[in-house]
Amino acid sequence: MQTQPLLSEIQELNLAYLLLAQRMLHDDRVSAMFRLKVDDEMADLLLGMGATQLARLSSTNQLLCHFGHESAEQLRQVTHNPRDQGLGRLHASLLMASAPAASTTGPQGG
Amino acid sequence: MEHKSTPHKSSTEKSLVGEMQQVQLAIDLIELGARLQVLETETAISRAKLIKLYKEVRGMSPPKGMLPFSADWFITWLPNIHSSLFYTIYQRLREAQGCERMAAFVAAFRLYQEQIQLDGSEAVLGLTRAWTLVRFFESDLLQLSGCTRCGGQFVAHAHSPSHDYVCGICQPPSRAGKTRKRQADAVASRLTG
Repeated sequence: MQTQPLLSEIQELNLAYLLLAQRMLHDDRVSAMFRLKVDDEMADLLLGMGATQLARLSSTNQLLCHFGHESAEQLRQVTHNPRDQGLGRLHASLLMASAPAASTTGPQGG
Repeated sequence: MEHKSTPHKSSTEKSLVGEMQQVQLAIDLIELGARLQVLETETAISRAKLIKLYKEVRGMSPPKGMLPFSADWFITWLPNIHSSLFYTIYQRLREAQGCERMAAFVAAFRLYQEQIQLDGSEAVLGLTRAWTLVRFFESDLLQLSGCTRCGGQFVAHAHSPSHDYVCGICQPPSRAGKTRKRQADAVASRLTG
């Protein structure tokens, strides 16, 4: 099986993702942190990286950006809702906005 | 330079910056559709100045009259879905990102509007309603209930039981969407006819 084209696609996507993340954080930090689901510390780290570091981080056989939906059960409720009223996109948006908040931040509350 | 004058000077500068931030917040809120009452509550700017600012930004006088004041509105089907989306975003900015209250409010409302525009649907939740929603949560009139099917958080009356709660998307009421469909059909027939 040929994995070389796949690997370079992953690396390209990783680099594109990191560059996009940096640009978003520059333009509008609050919204960018929401879209990326990263905290303050991570935002600072990402912004501080130079081209060489970004390239090095990108060259891996794994994707840097993770899947936005928490579980298959949750995603199925969006894609296979038997009573869909055309609200699938809003539903997906709502679930992604809420997903990891409870598990990652704990009871510190801001 | 006299040593004594320094703290005085810095405090004046600080208040000037503070004032500019208040004006910027007011402009953001006016652009997003805030009523005068919202601006009066959330900024320290005088009413006269706010009216002037409103006219400059919108090119017309602020509308008069009472604010919508009903917690029930947020529980009705489509408004509930829109309110829940907005409030979920707002809460995330506040709690996971530690964002300041009004900064989070403005950013969350923009993110909500953006998603609605992507969806091509109408923004059911206006800015003043969104602000009322936040205030209702702050005074414990509303709570978030987790949907037992999709796991999303949805706006509900405070103290309503949530152990077997199912949201309006997973289980829409039987009449849900009828009005929307009728409107869409009307538009379609107008286009074809």
